[in-house]
Amino acid sequence: MMRRMRIGVTATCAAAVLVLAACSSSSSSSSSTTTTSGPSFNEGVTSVINPSTAKGGTITYDDSSVFDSTDPGNTYYAHVWNFSRLYATPLMTYTSTPGAGGNDLVPALATAPGVVSDNGLTWTYTIKPNVKFEDGTTVTSADVKYAVERTFDRTVLPNGPSYFQVLLGGNAATYPGPYKDRSKNIMGLTAITTPNPTTVVFHLAKPFADFDYVVAIPQTAPVPPDKDTGANYQLHPISTGPYEFQSYALNKQLTLVPNPNWNPADDPEASQLASKIVVNFNVNADDIDNRLLAGDIQMDIAGTGVQAAARARILSSPSLTKQADDPLSGFMWFFYINTKVAPLNNVACRRAIEYAANKITLQDAYGGSVGGDLASTAMPPTVIGYQSFDMYEALSKPNGDPTMAKQELTACGQPNGFTTGIAYRSDRPKEVAAATALQAALATVGIKTTLHGYPSGTYYSNFAGSPAYVHSHDLGIDIGGWAPDWPDGFGWFDEIANGNAIVPAGNTNIEELNDPVVNNYLAEMESASSTSALRAMLANEIDHQVMSDAVMLPIVYAKSLLYRSPALTNIYVQKYYGMYNYAVLGTS
Amino acid sequence: MVTFIIRRLIGTVFILLLVAAITFAIFFLLPRLAGETAYGLATQYVGRNPTPAAVHQMEQTLGFNEPLYVQFGRYIKAIVAGEHYQGQWCGPPCLGYSFKNQQPVWPQMISDVPVTLSIAIGAAVLWLIGGVTIGVISALKRGTIFDRLSMSVALAGVSLPVFFTGLIALELFSYKWPIFPNVQYVAITQNPYLWAKNLVLPWIVLAFLYAALYARLTRAGMLETLNEDYIRTARAKGLRERTVIIKHALRAALTPIVTIFGLDLGLLLGGAILTEVTFSMHGLGLFTVEAINNQDFPEIMGVTLLAAFFIIIANLIVDILYSVLDPRVRY
Amino acid sequence: MAVPIDVATSPGGPEPEAPLPASTKAIEGRSLGQIAWMRLRRDKLAMAGGIIVLLLVLVAIFGPYFVQNPDTYNQQLINPIFSRPNGPWGGISLAHPLGVEPVTGRDMLARMVVGARYSLLIGFLATALAVVLGVVMGIIAGYSGGWVDSVIARAMDVFLAFPLLVFAIALVGVMPSSGFGLSGNGLRVAMLIFIIGFFAWPYMGRIIRGQTLSLREREFVDAARSIGARGPYILFRELLPNLWAPILVYATLLIPTNILFEAALDFLGVGIIPPTPSWGQSLSNAVTQGFYATDPMYMIIPGLAIFITVMAFNLFGDGLRDALDPKTR
Repeated sequence: MMRRMRIGVTATCAAAVLVLAACSSSSSSSSSTTTTSGPSFNEGVTSVINPSTAKGGTITYDDSSVFDSTDPGNTYYAHVWNFSRLYATPLMTYTSTPGAGGNDLVPALATAPGVVSDNGLTWTYTIKPNVKFEDGTTVTSADVKYAVERTFDRTVLPNGPSYFQVLLGGNAATYPGPYKDRSKNIMGLTAITTPNPTTVVFHLAKPFADFDYVVAIPQTAPVPPDKDTGANYQLHPISTGPYEFQSYALNKQLTLVPNPNWNPADDPEASQLASKIVVNFNVNADDIDNRLLAGDIQMDIAGTGVQAAARARILSSPSLTKQADDPLSGFMWFFYINTKVAPLNNVACRRAIEYAANKITLQDAYGGSVGGDLASTAMPPTVIGYQSFDMYEALSKPNGDPTMAKQELTACGQPNGFTTGIAYRSDRPKEVAAATALQAALATVGIKTTLHGYPSGTYYSNFAGSPAYVHSHDLGIDIGGWAPDWPDGFGWFDEIANGNAIVPAGNTNIEELNDPVVNNYLAEMESASSTSALRAMLANEIDHQVMSDAVMLPIVYAKSLLYRSPALTNIYVQKYYGMYNYAVLGTS
Repeated sequence: MVTFIIRRLIGTVFILLLVAAITFAIFFLLPRLAGETAYGLATQYVGRNPTPAAVHQMEQTLGFNEPLYVQFGRYIKAIVAGEHYQGQWCGPPCLGYSFKNQQPVWPQMISDVPVTLSIAIGAAVLWLIGGVTIGVISALKRGTIFDRLSMSVALAGVSLPVFFTGLIALELFSYKWPIFPNVQYVAITQNPYLWAKNLVLPWIVLAFLYAALYARLTRAGMLETLNEDYIRTARAKGLRERTVIIKHALRAALTPIVTIFGLDLGLLLGGAILTEVTFSMHGLGLFTVEAINNQDFPEIMGVTLLAAFFIIIANLIVDILYSVLDPRVRY
Repeated sequence: MAVPIDVATSPGGPEPEAPLPASTKAIEGRSLGQIAWMRLRRDKLAMAGGIIVLLLVLVAIFGPYFVQNPDTYNQQLINPIFSRPNGPWGGISLAHPLGVEPVTGRDMLARMVVGARYSLLIGFLATALAVVLGVVMGIIAGYSGGWVDSVIARAMDVFLAFPLLVFAIALVGVMPSSGFGLSGNGLRVAMLIFIIGFFAWPYMGRIIRGQTLSLREREFVDAARSIGARGPYILFRELLPNLWAPILVYATLLIPTNILFEAALDFLGVGIIPPTPSWGQSLSNAVTQGFYATDPMYMIIPGLAIFITVMAFNLFGDGLRDALDPKTR
């Protein structure tokens, strides 16, 4: 499933050494070792910068757009999931640490990971006793059940993931949500049972080995039924985290203050240090960078990196470069190659595209090695089980291989090339540049393409994401980007490669791949007997199979050039989010 | 005159209905021509990967599978009489609930109006006074350096995108030389001094864009009227030069100025999109951008109707002003 | 010019002038057009403007045959990390007299010349459409009054209130890839001219209508009517010549607005299909993606191109109006 990340300019050099060397063209520093005074470039990826337990101060975030919702049950943006940890505690969460451990699950509201029974159909969680809401009332398992139940009414809360609706058994398939009947004693979803105030039991329709990842989604953060105001809950969610809402002018400004009823022992992955947190919405993106660098604000909440002007400024100043990090964002950019639009239904024609593409011009469209690393696989290095391989010479011949491409063209019966369409989002300049670059590269081997730009608001719902439209308009190649809801192979591949995920509108399996090998691997990953080692291995297998099917043309593993404000303490990159961890920040 | 105004106000209601119908048609009818179904439309608003049941539910709640005239009728009825929605009452004028955040549209728009008003009116005063003054002086000093220079600067203002001049203004006057630090909207009721100070840059940037047209039109109009016989007579009568210029020459040249002032201000009140985006001020313009990005129909409708209202009223006031400025005009 | 009379030679009064030599041609009266052309010729600045406009048109028509391919990538000439060309002034060199684009390395001169075709075509024709429609509707509305005026003025209100952005986005889905005998970029250009021009006419229309409302009460209109002139004659031979001033001023300023508006429509997917260049798009890209900070030439060159076009048209338009206006000295 795809978490959405705000799209901005992502930029960085591939490694500290390369950065300082590349930047030495306009600066005098060309040292490749870290300086002894203060933190250095990229240090935030591997260690905590400015560790401190000092309290007080105000942290100001700016957002170039708005949250899809502050309601933890109604959001699907990575940075909102990150930020919501300040006022919502789900059953499980990710260990707050820099480096590799940042992808590991750890209990939050729960005392331990789910206990599996009944051949993988039952998951039992025990929640910590005496966890309090912001108003002092104790959290019970009924509040967790209610939190999940309310997400079933998509006319009120349409934005969040729908895993619970798909995975749970009982009456989950027909349960309409609690708003249709708001009596307090009706607990309608039979798939979740609460035998006592500290136990929550989930009854699945079929085994799902990754269920611990599913309950790490903010939708399991408890909601008191008598304080739930439906669509208005976003204006003041009842907090179980270190902070609570003081005021929220919808889409304008949000202010959080410390939650007096929060016990630090309840959630070691979050901290209560700053005495005030402010978020400003709809701020001009270029202006955010200016404010950040001037010290007027401390964080760009979207977490996708600075814009081009600031990127150049940061990378050409050694003192500013030391305060930047360039993590892999967990996102990947690629082109879908549709398997139903002729002649791309023949795998050799698709392979021709893989060989013909000029990966360097494509990478430059996203900002060069600044914007991401050249990609040769269908899954990025941040997914568990990733191993590098290069089926179509993306790394060995990054400018493309016209000879091999022409061979593949002959093999698929189109020795003089063919015509097809490339779809992209016209309001994303990088995608315009990438589509143009691909068109130019494919033209050199005789593949003639027409470009079709669409607005991003309706790209997935009406155009690329509508198989009927793709077929009728010959959109053989469609640009896309993806980030997983959790960092294993299923979280990455299920929605973009599972034959069962093809839907008539809002489709994300845009290549319409229906390969039984892939479908079976995905099913096996979530079977009751699956282990994490098996899933890692299967992820790699699916990766190879998808690339062999040539249904994806990988462009880059995205990176974000993040600026680390010197005013912040305990700042580091959380691998799961691909950006700084907002739950632990303080200010000095 | 009074009957004229009443007739126009009645006409306003019909125009607004027409605009609403057009917007409705664009939003719902056009996609149908492209093969869009009610199901496909509902998918846009149910988030990612919804179950088919959830999409059908949304279809129902938003009424997409009803015939278009029924949907339109319901929308108009809600504006006039209010409606119940999801257990809440939304009184007239009820412009519906946002598809994106399920909050009522009218209060959201109203809270944005003061911002747009502040930006638009302030800039309008500036470009009117500045533009006309420069135009008058250019006409009087025709052919001199002042005339050529002011014309070049004015043309530069029109050739450059607003977001560029805004960005440069911010970089120079907010960051490099902190004359206007931390530009953000402060309500006039909160702090009048800060309100004005933070608006200076947006006012100047916006006025720079419009002043060109006003200066050029004034200059052209003045050049014409200055050659009229009655100007010669006025001078011969011994009137002071300033009176001749302002009361006689300028007044006759004002008709097109008044026309475009009404148009510009009316259009701007519906949302100074580029300025608000550049300076991060939450007005109707930003609201419009968000609404369009999200394909949020109630918000789009709401802001279109409000903008239409401003335009119609502005044009009505201009038409009335014609007969004030030029007594020969009658309707 | 007065023929000098030698008063001193004859006490009885001025002598009749000596007859002119027979070889001189007979003096003909000059038409308005000829007078206007003579006066225009004398206005140096206006002629300069006119020549530049002519040059731009020539460049737009013939230029693309003389420049290199505007779509050729030159990756070796740019630094993608900093999003700028190597070398100062945007990578100016003998091979690339105006430098190269920051991300792709495409030749700027070629892109400007080929882009001139599209930007000028759209800029001029959309403006022309808006002006013609606006003037015609405005004059008719202002002169006729009554219900004709009501209907036209209300139509202007509706067009002004029209949700153009929403319409453009909805258009993306229904846009055909060929029609009216055109396809691809040809069809797009036609559509853009139509959309941009068709929604800009009410502005011009309101200005003209306002002016007409004043003018129609003037004496010369009464005079024309009294000698039996009918509607169209009065509209186009009496009123229109007095309306040139605002028409030319506004038309001049509408051109750059339309060029930039085309860039906005590109953003929504309704505009020119990439990789075809246009000035508006280059300028917009330069600003919105921050290239103005890393590679200022990428912004300055299209900005200057638009500015020079506007300036030239403006100077020529001023001169034209001065030449046509019987009252200006």
